Amino acid sequence: MPLLEVETLTKRFGGLTAIDNVSFHVDEGDVLGLIGPNGAGKTTLFKLITGFLKSDSGTVRFKGEDITGLAPHKIVNKGIARTFQVVRPFRHLPAIANVLVACASPRASKKLEWLKSPERKALDMLELVGLSEMMLEPAENLAHGDLKRLEMARALATEPDLLLLDEPFSGLNPIETDFLTKSIQRLHLDGYTMVIVEHKLQALMKLVRKVIVLHYGEKIAEGSPKEISQNKKVIEVYMGRGV
Amino acid sequence: MVGYFFRRIYLSFATKVFDVPSKLLAFLLFLLLLAIPATRPSSYILLILIISYIYAIFAASWDLLVGRAGLVSLGHALFFGIAAYTSAILSKFYGLPIWATIPLAMLFCALVAVLLGFPSLRVKGPYLTLVTMAFPLILHTSLFAFDPPIGGEYGIAGPPRFFPREFLMGTEFLAEYYLVLLVLFVSAIILYKIANSKTGIVFVSILDDESASKACGINVTKYKLLAFVISATFAGLAGGVYAHSFGALGSVSPGGVLGLTTSFYPVIMTIFGGIGTIYGPIVGAFTLWTLMEFFQFANELRVLIYVSIIVVFILKWPEGIAKFVVKKLDELTEKRELEEREKKK
Repeated sequence: MPLLEVETLTKRFGGLTAIDNVSFHVDEGDVLGLIGPNGAGKTTLFKLITGFLKSDSGTVRFKGEDITGLAPHKIVNKGIARTFQVVRPFRHLPAIANVLVACASPRASKKLEWLKSPERKALDMLELVGLSEMMLEPAENLAHGDLKRLEMARALATEPDLLLLDEPFSGLNPIETDFLTKSIQRLHLDGYTMVIVEHKLQALMKLVRKVIVLHYGEKIAEGSPKEISQNKKVIEVYMGRGV
Repeated sequence: MVGYFFRRIYLSFATKVFDVPSKLLAFLLFLLLLAIPATRPSSYILLILIISYIYAIFAASWDLLVGRAGLVSLGHALFFGIAAYTSAILSKFYGLPIWATIPLAMLFCALVAVLLGFPSLRVKGPYLTLVTMAFPLILHTSLFAFDPPIGGEYGIAGPPRFFPREFLMGTEFLAEYYLVLLVLFVSAIILYKIANSKTGIVFVSILDDESASKACGINVTKYKLLAFVISATFAGLAGGVYAHSFGALGSVSPGGVLGLTTSFYPVIMTIFGGIGTIYGPIVGAFTLWTLMEFFQFANELRVLIYVSIIVVFILKWPEGIAKFVVKKLDELTEKRELEEREKKK
């Protein structure tokens, strides 16, 4: 049974169909890439899966359970965590408190190891993304790259079974991109299932085994990175039609 | 044995209070408040201080709701008024002792907060502010529909006082002064602990970014309601104490406990002292209330001078005076520690 099953999901904003009949599934332990030009509906798809938007039709099943239309916090507590495309830190809180908020969720509290304090766990998460030196720094003082990592730490602290990363590489310099690639590879080895939306195809193709291409809300291709890069339709969408 | 006990207390104080300049300052201020009656102030001054402490509790409860959870309420007088009325009615007409009526009034406030919170917390930002503003005004007007001795403009005349006259032995207000100071001290510590607990951190996360808070698996509605209820309970405590101290001297009236001014006092005090700190509103309430009395000599110009001072202070220290002082102290200690570390090297 796949971990996440999305079936004939549709979302309309007035006359615009942002997501049109999209179906796909993610197997446990898999890393799925989601690509497409600007406005293809990638973020909308994330919002539909995580409950930030209500779909017009279609179902989302997680571990066989229908989670369509559940409130966002309930979906997180079922085991799906997401990061945001534009970083959304809690500006007034220090880095460690940012992660502590996620540790306060019912799922994280329940999964907390015996005799381990939430603070310790928050620090472990910061260490995992390489931010432990900044733990007491208010989030408003952190650089963009650090905030991206803070988002990851926060998402990981909710103990997700499925991690949805919305453009994790946006705004990162090559060194940071490299570091993040390694982090994601390590998470993959640890058995995390992930869906990654990304523009930087080069970075993405190294990470994923399967790619889905969206265009104007429709799924136009699905396959391994190699297949996708040779797919005529995809090339057409990205490069334009040949003369 | 006793010596050991005191030594333990002293040692825990030495590390937790005396070593932290801002906490040491708070401790010294508390000692100062304890010592004020030793200067044999008039009953009038004691009464002014009592009211300032009551408003300090009230403002601190508002700060937890607004400064921490970011739910801007301009109708906090609702809970102040409900508690004052509940406690006054229960003690005057049903003969219940005050130590029972105030907790009952607080409980009732919490219940009202749950009932009103469910529908009103669905709206956000300025809309929430407007909704909260309406509640005390509605109650204020509805009270006029009832007949005395409960309804009407004059309200409930003379609810019982905390201490019977025989007990006071001429030292009017002194016992009440210490009682209210104790209540302020305890509730300030509880509110401060809540504000800096894990729950308090979640409150701030809601203030900063509600969606991100949801993405962390936080049931935002539940925490908002929790902030509303805690805040209402402590506002109720302030209202209950008010009814039996200041209210007992005259009456618990709609204008006195439910008016717009009552809702705005905590706002001014909190912003003046430092929003989101819990200690800020306490400093603000104390400073502003005593300042107002200090300008008594200026007669009609009093309010003008008072307001100008507030405006100047807020322009100069927008983060609040208490927050400013604490920040400066922290910076100084940090500098000192750095210098010491340099020396060691």
